[in-house]
Amino acid sequence: MNVGFIGLGLMGRPMALHLERAGHTLHLWARRPESLAPFAAVNAKTHATPAQVAAHAEVVIVMVADAPDVETVCLGADGLASGGKAGLIVVDMSTINPNAARSIGLRLAEKGIEFVDAPVSGGETGAINAALTIMVGGKAATFDKVKPLLEKMGKSVTLIGDSGAGQVAKACNQILTGVGVLAVAEAFNFAAKSGVDASKVREALLGGFAYSKILENHGQRMLDRNFKPGFKAWMHQKDLRIVMEEAHRMGLMLPSAAATAQVFNAIVGSGMGENDSVTALQLLEKMSGKDE
Amino acid sequence: MNIGFIGFGTMGAPMAGHLLQAGHALHVWSRRAAGADFLVERGARRCAAPAEVAAASEIVCTNVTASDDVEGLAVQLVEALAPGAMHVDFSTIAPSAARRIAALYAERGVEFVDAPVSGGSAGARNATLSIMWGGKSALAPRLEPLFSVLGKTIVRVGEVGAGQVAKACNQMVMVAAIEACAEAARLAEAAGVDFALVRQAMLGGSAGSRVLDAFGGRMAARDFTPGVEARLHHKDYALLMDEASRIGAPLPVSAAVWQQLNALMANGWGSRDTSALLPVLEAAARQ
Repeated sequence: MNVGFIGLGLMGRPMALHLERAGHTLHLWARRPESLAPFAAVNAKTHATPAQVAAHAEVVIVMVADAPDVETVCLGADGLASGGKAGLIVVDMSTINPNAARSIGLRLAEKGIEFVDAPVSGGETGAINAALTIMVGGKAATFDKVKPLLEKMGKSVTLIGDSGAGQVAKACNQILTGVGVLAVAEAFNFAAKSGVDASKVREALLGGFAYSKILENHGQRMLDRNFKPGFKAWMHQKDLRIVMEEAHRMGLMLPSAAATAQVFNAIVGSGMGENDSVTALQLLEKMSGKDE
Repeated sequence: MNIGFIGFGTMGAPMAGHLLQAGHALHVWSRRAAGADFLVERGARRCAAPAEVAAASEIVCTNVTASDDVEGLAVQLVEALAPGAMHVDFSTIAPSAARRIAALYAERGVEFVDAPVSGGSAGARNATLSIMWGGKSALAPRLEPLFSVLGKTIVRVGEVGAGQVAKACNQMVMVAAIEACAEAARLAEAAGVDFALVRQAMLGGSAGSRVLDAFGGRMAARDFTPGVEARLHHKDYALLMDEASRIGAPLPVSAAVWQQLNALMANGWGSRDTSALLPVLEAAARQ
């Protein structure tokens, strides 16, 4: 199949390569030409605009940073909408505001272009190992058409509901992971300040009701003092901002997510945004008087 | 002076009236034509479009709801404002929106000043507003005669956008204080103590404040008629929390207060006074 792919960053690059390995022809456009270098030796054609990518592909996958980027790629000058024929399917795997996803879907539908939101969880490791969790919002018929492609990039591919529902699921995911990472960091800092070995605490808790993958994996990275991303803290901050915007729009009370978002603001404000989210531990240590 | 005015809500209406009273020629436009009737009856000139206001005015004042409203007007005003003319916006909007408008005007030699106000509808009626403005310091002499008929405390905070930053700070401090009042009222109530007496005692001590006086008074009287409608404070929180996220500033207390405002909205109380943060706490404790 001819598959367009726009957004060849930390996540997008390995995802696109999985599709190529599965025998698909890639059609690429990148804002920064150097992003195309890893594709020089594989079955991939590069194009001058997203519109040209759309003209050559049956499905275009978008994996960029935020809603304005998705809008520009889809609906801007030389965007996908200006080059895509009716029947084209756009799969947006970026994490953006659910409401923005619904609106982009509606505007593409006016041109006869189908749209699904399909944000992912699993980080760079998940992308490299084709083990992502993919949460999809859109029409069931469209989902069935793109499911085989998504299965080349992810291990768990679920249709959650109508347009925007994938982004709602991702927002829920970010509430749980954001609050979860901070909870583990608080517990470890509490243990350490009490003069107790946090690694022993982790080991003990893994067998009890506080067990979670975050305690296991993120917790281990905190103990190893490995703050390399993984998932960058500034992206988690952005995702929590989306969550809080939606909560505001709907009049929803999210006290824990709101508090967690402030800690991520502090992480970014103190120049630690490029670290993994587990850097939350360092922030807590700094605020509890430990020099780093 | 020829002054334009757009936006005649609870704040804008009395402010425009003061300008007319001070002897200025007022050019007005209202989305609903009837909205400006009370000024036209007093001698203001009705315009058919924002551009007509702009063409007739040395200074155009706006007092509307959201960033989008001001930016939408700016696009229409910029075509008709003469070089050297000025747009003074009294609305509470995002600092970044104020800066965008200033950039749009700069190309045409038109000045933009963000001048959000604090003091509520009473402050607007009595011309006792606090006006915090951002813009070129050289504009101060031209703004002084305008501001002095509207407010009592007038501070230039900095360049364009600085007025909105000050307003965000104002809202954070004030609404957090309202929430603190509500929590005190809730604690007193739950403990079977009369909050009206607690408030009276506190007003004389270190916890005395204007918020405790005004909003605490409404809580004690269980009178939740606005004042300032809570939905407007809720709107302001979206702006300031978004700004905090953009610049990486942690605001833990504001974030918690924001969630109480979300709960207030969910209860359908957005048109009540913000002292309705008290019933939000009561609803959470209801069996």
